[in-house]
This record gives sequence, C-alpha cells and structure tokens, in this order.
Amino acid sequence: MPTFPDFVSANFQGDVTLDHVIPASVARFAPLPDDLRPELSRALAARGVERLYAHQADAYNAVRRGRHLVVVTPTASGKTLCYNLPVLQRLLEQPDRRAIYMFPTKALAQDQLAELSALKHGLPIDLRVDTYDGDTSPGRRTAIREGGHIVMTNPDMLHAGLLPHHTRWRRLFSSLDFVVIDELHMYRGLFGSQVANVIRRLKRICAFYGSSPTFICTSATIANPLQLAQRLLEEENIELVERNGAPRGERRLIFYNPPLLNREMGVRRSSMLEARRIAAPWIRAGVQTIVFCRSRLQVEVMLSYLRQDLAPRLDAGQRVRGYRSGYLPLHRREIEAGLRSGEITSVVSTNALELGIDIGSLQTAILVGYPGTIASTWQQLGRAGRRSGSVGVFVASSSPLDQFIVRHPEYFLSSDPEEGLIDPDNLLLLAGHLQAGLFELPFEDQERLGRADVHELLALFEEDGSASRSGGRWFWSRQAFPADEIHLRRIAADNVVIIDTSQPRPKVIGEMDQFTAPVLLHEEAVYLHEGAQYHVERLDWEEKKAYVHPVEVDYYTDALAAVTVQVLDTFSIPERGDGLSRNHGELKITALASIFKKIRFHTHENIGSGPIHLPEQTLHTTGYWITVDEDLWRTLGRETLEAGLQGMAHTLRHVASLRLMCDPRDLGAVAEVRSVTTKLPTVTVYEMYPGGVGYSARMYELHRELLEQGAALVHDCPCLAGCPSCIGPLHLVEGAKKACLKLLCASALPV
Amino acid sequence: MSQATLRERLTRLGAPPRIQPKVERSLPRGFEVVVTPYGDALLRQDVIPLPALEPNPGSVAYIDTETTGLSGGAGTYVFAAAVARPIECGLRVAQVFLPQPGMEAAFLYALQAEIEPAQAVATFNGSSFDLPVLRTRWVMARMPGELACPPHVDLLTLVRALYRHRLESCNLRSVEERLLGYERDDPIASSLVPDAYFDYLRSDMHPLLEAALEHNRLDVISLVHLHSRLLARLRGGDAGMDAADWLALGRHRFRRGARADGWRALRNATAFAKGESAATAGLLLSRRLVRRGSIAAADRLLDWLESHATEDMRVSIARARLLEWRKRDPLAALNVVEGARRRMPDEAELLDSRLVRLRRKARKRASATLPLA
Repeated sequence: MPTFPDFVSANFQGDVTLDHVIPASVARFAPLPDDLRPELSRALAARGVERLYAHQADAYNAVRRGRHLVVVTPTASGKTLCYNLPVLQRLLEQPDRRAIYMFPTKALAQDQLAELSALKHGLPIDLRVDTYDGDTSPGRRTAIREGGHIVMTNPDMLHAGLLPHHTRWRRLFSSLDFVVIDELHMYRGLFGSQVANVIRRLKRICAFYGSSPTFICTSATIANPLQLAQRLLEEENIELVERNGAPRGERRLIFYNPPLLNREMGVRRSSMLEARRIAAPWIRAGVQTIVFCRSRLQVEVMLSYLRQDLAPRLDAGQRVRGYRSGYLPLHRREIEAGLRSGEITSVVSTNALELGIDIGSLQTAILVGYPGTIASTWQQLGRAGRRSGSVGVFVASSSPLDQFIVRHPEYFLSSDPEEGLIDPDNLLLLAGHLQAGLFELPFEDQERLGRADVHELLALFEEDGSASRSGGRWFWSRQAFPADEIHLRRIAADNVVIIDTSQPRPKVIGEMDQFTAPVLLHEEAVYLHEGAQYHVERLDWEEKKAYVHPVEVDYYTDALAAVTVQVLDTFSIPERGDGLSRNHGELKITALASIFKKIRFHTHENIGSGPIHLPEQTLHTTGYWITVDEDLWRTLGRETLEAGLQGMAHTLRHVASLRLMCDPRDLGAVAEVRSVTTKLPTVTVYEMYPGGVGYSARMYELHRELLEQGAALVHDCPCLAGCPSCIGPLHLVEGAKKACLKLLCASALPV
Repeated sequence: MSQATLRERLTRLGAPPRIQPKVERSLPRGFEVVVTPYGDALLRQDVIPLPALEPNPGSVAYIDTETTGLSGGAGTYVFAAAVARPIECGLRVAQVFLPQPGMEAAFLYALQAEIEPAQAVATFNGSSFDLPVLRTRWVMARMPGELACPPHVDLLTLVRALYRHRLESCNLRSVEERLLGYERDDPIASSLVPDAYFDYLRSDMHPLLEAALEHNRLDVISLVHLHSRLLARLRGGDAGMDAADWLALGRHRFRRGARADGWRALRNATAFAKGESAATAGLLLSRRLVRRGSIAAADRLLDWLESHATEDMRVSIARARLLEWRKRDPLAALNVVEGARRRMPDEAELLDSRLVRLRRKARKRASATLPLA
C-alpha cells in the first residue's frame, strides 16, 4: 500500500466531493516485433527498452499492415514509440523515404526532437531530423528541404510555409511515407476544421508527387477518437488502438469545492487561496508538486504565494518555479531538467506543461480551476502519478463549468463523454482553403477538395476574378498569397485588437471577435482580462482597436444588447416533446448594443449608465433552439418566464460547451419571450464562428442530455434563488431559479 | 454529381445559365506561334544591332521574367520572359508569352530553347527570384528533369558589392541612370503588372500589358550593357575610381577568393591615404599581414597610415594593439595611445582602460630593467 502525501479534509472548510483511489494497473508487455531491424532493437536496448508495451506493439503491427492509425493513450505511456518505431523501421529499410511529424505547438516539436535524437543516436544510418517552424534560420531551411528525413512542424507552418512552396519541398513530398499527427484531440472545433482542410491540401500535393502517406495519430482520451480521425483525415482504413499497456501506480483523486462565502450570490472562497493552502505543506515537506493555473497572471500570483510560504528558506526562488509561454526556451529547458532531476520541488504552470513535454513524473498535481475539458484535466492530473502514491486535486472556482464538474464527479469519471467535432465543409473555411489549394495546384474540372464538391465555388471564384479556366483546368489568378489570409487558430481577420496603453510601449493583450466586441469593449466598459480589470478608453471601430488601461474599481459594466434571431433555414422538422420542442438550422443573429450599466460588486446596485454608439452586428451561423409550448409557458408569469428562459440559455451554453469540448465563448445563447420565427418563447444556442463548425447539429442530437445536465447544474447549486454559477447573473428576479428549473425539467426526467 | 444535374439545380435555385461570351484574345504585338512538343508557344524574336562591348562578356543569355506576383510560391506564374543573347550579327532579343496558364509547358520549352545555346546566364536578382520561380514552374508544368541552367551570374549581387556606397537604391532603374547614363520611366507601376495580365486573361490585350512587355525587353538589353560595365570595374580598368570604389572591389575580390586581385585593389584604396575608406582598406591589409605573421610589415603600414589618417581612432587603436600584443612593446604602444588622445580629445575615453593597462605594464617593464642598487 503506497503512502499518499497527507490531505486531511477536516483541515479545510469546503466540501470534498470526491475522494477516490484509482487502483494501480500492471503493465502488459509484448515482445519486440520479429521483423524489427536488429540495429533498431539494439538502439532500443541501449535506451533500456527490451520489450514493448502492448499498445506499442499493436500500433507497430497495424502500421506495418498498411493501415492508418489512431492510438489513444494517457500521459506518460510511451506513445512516441508508437510512431517512432514504424517510422524508424521504414527509414532503415528505405533511407530515401520521408516523414512529417505535426505537433500542435512549437514547444512540443522541440521536445520530441530531443527525444528522437537520443533514439536515433544508436542507429547506423545518418538520419536527419529537424524542426521546421517560424524560428528556423534561413540557412538551415535549405538543408532541411533537401535532406530532412523527418520534418517536425506545426499545422500553421504546413499551411503557410510548406504547402504553398511545395516545389521546394519536392524531395519531401515525393517520398512521403508517414504523416504523424500528435495530440489529435487538439484538432477540434474551428482549429480542427481548419486543419482538416490543410490535410486535404496536403493530400492533393502528395498525390501530385505520387506519394500516399500513412497517417499515424495519437490522442488523449475522448469519446470519439476514431470518428474524429475519420473526419479529419477523410480516410476509412483507420485502426484504433486503445488498450493501454503502460503501468500506472495507485493514485488518489480529490475534488474540492471551496466554502461558500455568500450563499445568495454563489460566491466561494478563492480557488487560488485554497490551492495555496493545499500546496504549501506539500512543498515544504519536499513533495514534488505541480500547480496548474488558468492564466499567466495567476501563475505569477501563485508563484509569489508559494515562495512566501517557503520563505525562511533561502532557496525558495530556486525550488519553486513558474512555467508559461513567454519564458525563453532555454529557461524552460532548465526548468524541465530541474524537475526531472528533483532539484526543483514545485512548478506553477499554465497548460503549457499539459502536453507531452517530458518533466518526469511528479507526486502531486493541483488544478486551480477546471481546465475546460476532461481530456485536459486527465492530462494535467497525469503529470503526477506514474509511480504509486500520487495525489491529484482539482480545486473548483465559482464558474458554472467548475461547479458542474465538482458537484458531478460521476460525469467526470463516466466513460469519456467529450466529443471532438469538426466541420471541414463550413463554406467560409472551405472557400478559404480552396483558394489556398488553387494557388498550390490547378484544379481539374471535376476535382474535389477532399470530399467536398467545389465546382460551384470555383465558378464563383471565376466571377470574382480569383480563378481562370484554361485547358479544362482552373488556375489561381490573383496576385495575393491566399494562405496569408487564413489564420488557423483565429476566428476572423478583422477581430478587435485590445491594446494596453498604460506602458510606455503599448502592448496587445488580446483580441475579440467583432460580434462580441460591442458588448464587452465599448467605451467606458470595464473589461476583465486574465483576472485583471481594464478600463476601455477608446474603441476605434474603423481600425478595430480597443485602447485600455488597467484599473481597480469596485464595479463592473454590463451592456444590454438587443439580440434578434432570424431562422433562415431549418435542418429538421420541429420535434415536439413534452412542453419543449427542438430544432436546428441556419440563423441570422442581429445584435445592437445600445446602453450599458455600471454595477457595484457584491451589492449589485446600479451606479450609473451610458449609451453605446456602435453599428448593429450581424452573424450568419448555425444554431440549435428550443421552444416552449403554450401550455407550459402560460403557467409562468411573464417576468419569471423571461428570467427562466435567460437562465436556461446561460445554463445550456455552459453544459453544451462541456460536451462539445469547446470554450463557452465559442457558443452564444439568447432567450426570447416571443421569437419572430417560432412565435413562441425560444432559447437559441448558436455558434460564434460564421456558418458553424458542427456543434449545432450535435447539440440538437444531445438535446435531452443537455437539458438533464442543465437541470442538474441548477438543481444542485446550493444558492437560494439562482447565482452566476448556475443560471447566470439573474439573482434579482424572484423565482428565476425555479422557473429555469421548471423549463429545463419540462421534458426531462425528474431530477 | 454530373454537370447536368448541377446545372438543373442551379436553374431551379434561380440562377439561369449565364453563357460567358467567348473571348477572342488578340496576341500581343510582334508575337507568333511556334510549335513545341508540348503544344503551341508564343514567341517574339528580334535581332538588334549591338555595339562592340569592352570588355565583352561572351556567350551569355540575359533573362528577365514577368510574374503574377512577388510572393513566390506555387501559385505565382511567369507570364512573360525575355532573353537577350549576343549572336554573330548583333543581339538576339527573344520574348516568350503565356497566353493562358494551361499552356505553360510549351512556354517553358520555348524559353529553355532560348537559354540553351548560351554558356552562362545572367539576371538581375535571379538568384532569389527569377530562377527559383522558373524552377517552380518547371515542376508545376510537369516538365521532365530539371530546368537546365548554365552557370549563373546575378548582376544585382555585383552591383551591390561594387556600387552600393554610391547608390541610394540598387533597383535596375537607378542602376541604369547612374551607371549606364540613361533614364527611362516605368510605363506602369510594377505592382500593377500582374493585374494587367489578369485583365488580359479575362478580357483582352490591354495597352498597359503591351507596355509591360516592351519594358521587359528593354530590361534584358540593359543587362547586356550593365554586365560589360561591371566587368570593366571588376578588372580594375575603370578610370576615376576613388578609395571607396577600390575598397568595395577589394572586398568583393577577397570574398570570391581572388586574393591577388583583392590585395591590389585594397592597396590602391589605401594609397589614397586620406579618408575613411583608405583607412579601412589599410586596416584590412594590416590585419592580413598580421595573420600571415608579417608583423614588421604590418607595423610599417600602420605607422604610415597613422601619419596620414591622423584623425582615425581605429588606426591608432590597431597600431597600439599591434605594438602591445604582437611586438610586446608597451612603451611604444603607450606613446601611440598618448598621441592619439592628444589628437582626438573627443574620443579619448575610448582609450582609457588601454591607457591604464599600458601605463602599468610600462612601469613594470621599467622596474624590471632597473639595475639593482
């Protein structure tokens, strides 16, 4: 029986909602494959690998059988060997073959480079493995293009650097046998839909040079890894390897909900302070601990707390370190090495350390706030726990997502509810990537982009002058470089940029989509960014720039936007349930922000207001909506109905984002007492990306579950009459919580 | 989905067939169709008189391309290329034009036929632009093998090496004006040239595109004369070269490994004895002498230089350093430093730490050589 570092719940005033020991699992091994080249076996032996874990062997065999592959593995289970083994074997057999490794971030590519370099060291052939990203010097670029056996890059570089210049990469593309896609689950939502189109373009280029690579993907645990891979790669012959053969130690998992300070408002004690109280004794006792925070600012604050707690020790600064983007690469490498060697006791990190960077295995992990997805949570918890006796603690904040998860550990522990969804055929995305594809290679008359029929779009491009036809083919005919116009990770090019003017050199601190900006970034707004308050001095709508400076005030601003939803097209027949009906389709959302209020914290008194002078915003997108039948709404008064609907909108948006693995900000929700289209009280949850990336159709399918989970969120909230953690900021309307619950439960089973 | 059903669907949706009028595109002036194994190409050929060039660059094909964009990449096409090549009876100026993107293979074949007879090719910025773009086009048109290209000289590289100190800009227009002595205006801003071509693809020949093609021909003719001019400079046969010119030439020669020529050019620059360039050249020479171990020669050169370039701190520092570290003579070095501080009081502090160190060394030396009492 391992001994866990102490966690005595009696020392804390909040609720421990889960205290669960996950039993150890033993390793399942498989011998090295018979056909493995002896030099590769020797290189493995030199690194202490005499046999494989079962999943590594499965992966190797599947690839050798010519199948595409998805390997689902938890953190620290030796997933890199799943792709390195078949790739190295092929390169030993045919040294003129090539592979691309695609990682979602530059840092991951760097880390894998180090790992693979160590392995290839023992091999008799001179393998050239390089990272190719924005930091690669021009001198090295040429050498990599000519001689790189394995090119490690990221989707953005593939999209804007390699594909448009594919003739320079002829050597690589014409001999490309493998494309490794690490962290497949990251490619979901908008980013995934974009990357799916990049892969369509990649496959076109490969076909041009006569290669047809095998795709090897690795993913964290999600509900639908195979389906996501099929959609992303548009391949059918994919094998799923998910029986994990790596051993795990016994570990203890604790969910902790800080005590309520204000029951009416649902305000809880700060998750930061509670996490500090949990972490400090461990760190003092020399237990290696990682603390994950939700923002860079939080990292710095937590870091200073923990150093204070260790204070009499002179080396506190050395033993407790921060880790986040913005630190220099060398500095990061030093921290990683310090963690592996044990010199560093504790690290406070953003999710930068969540992905596969090797820091060895620590003993305790503390998550301050819910990382947003179950997959991320497991990855962060997985930082502690390869050996027995590790402890993972999740400390919830007051946000609805955190409160849902902390109060429903069974949802968290149930079998993988999260789905990675993408829609590569979103018209806007497709059109963008079709232009990029057209630039890269002319289109034959009947050619498709992946599975998408693009003939009509090409004809449209011809009318716009972007394409011209010649000899039965379509050619790009504009000066522009179309890949430059697409940012894979950003909603649109014309986002509003948020600029902090308080420093001598103004600094961009973030950006916001055009549709939301009038509500949150209007002049005189108090904008919250990474937990700090900023006052918006000026919003230059023409230039799409918001100038802000940090302030500390005791109020926040709340803008009222009149939002109307117009249904342009429905994708199903309205389906009537008991009291509620559902549908989904194409929508036009119009929002006009006209006035804002200043509201004092805690007391919520209205302490002023002002007008907003900004043009009306429209968004064409897809959405899912619920209408309330007459029999039901007549039982509620008009005011309570409105409050109930708003609570329902707030709740549904949050529980939907849990299921769909997206940020709540990727969805919008609006409640209307009488919708222009349905003529009934209606709640609409819509996608913030124009045209949608597949969430709406899935929300329609998940209708009943979303209602049930929404009801559970509201029902289990200990607040009296509704609070921001359940139904949103509606606590001033009497009966709101009850009405919301009544609506949510109308067609669901009683909760 | 078949063509017919798509058309039906579109018509049902309220988009009746819009039959595009067939564009009868006229050819640019002077072009004729030539037959290649890959289909028809459009070629314009002229032979113009060529005055005797001194020096004569020999059998070189001068190439300039017109492209649909400056960003490069697989979607940037070459729609026209001019090649000038001296032949027995004058200068052959050929130009290939791409009437539609689908005819690229024939275009490239015709272009290569113009380049092949030459023993070298020359371009203006071809290393980083024209040649990579042409290589890309070669791959994209699925032409066999590689674009066969004889040895290449990039005239822009030479201009930058030899004349940058004299030119505010190294673009071809100002090079023509300053080095060849003639001016011509751009008939069309270069950023508009691609659009003129796209307009042609959509409608018909446009005067602006004609002007751009004419310009492309004139460019390669300029290159012939520019090359000869640059060769004259490279050989050091230019009259009226000043210290900066010789310095640039010397540096370029050394970079290319022509040590004897480089040495000569730097000596000529140093011989001007006055000004920054002469001093720089002298310093480069002295550094090479030191590297060779000719400490005495380097010392003589720096001594001479310091007596002429009296206001150049770099020279004094180099001399002090040589005396201190190579000749191990701190007293002499101290003299140089003290002299320099008097001549250049404004920059005296540059010598402060050196002065302190040299004084200490000089004292030590003095006490070491003092006979014991």
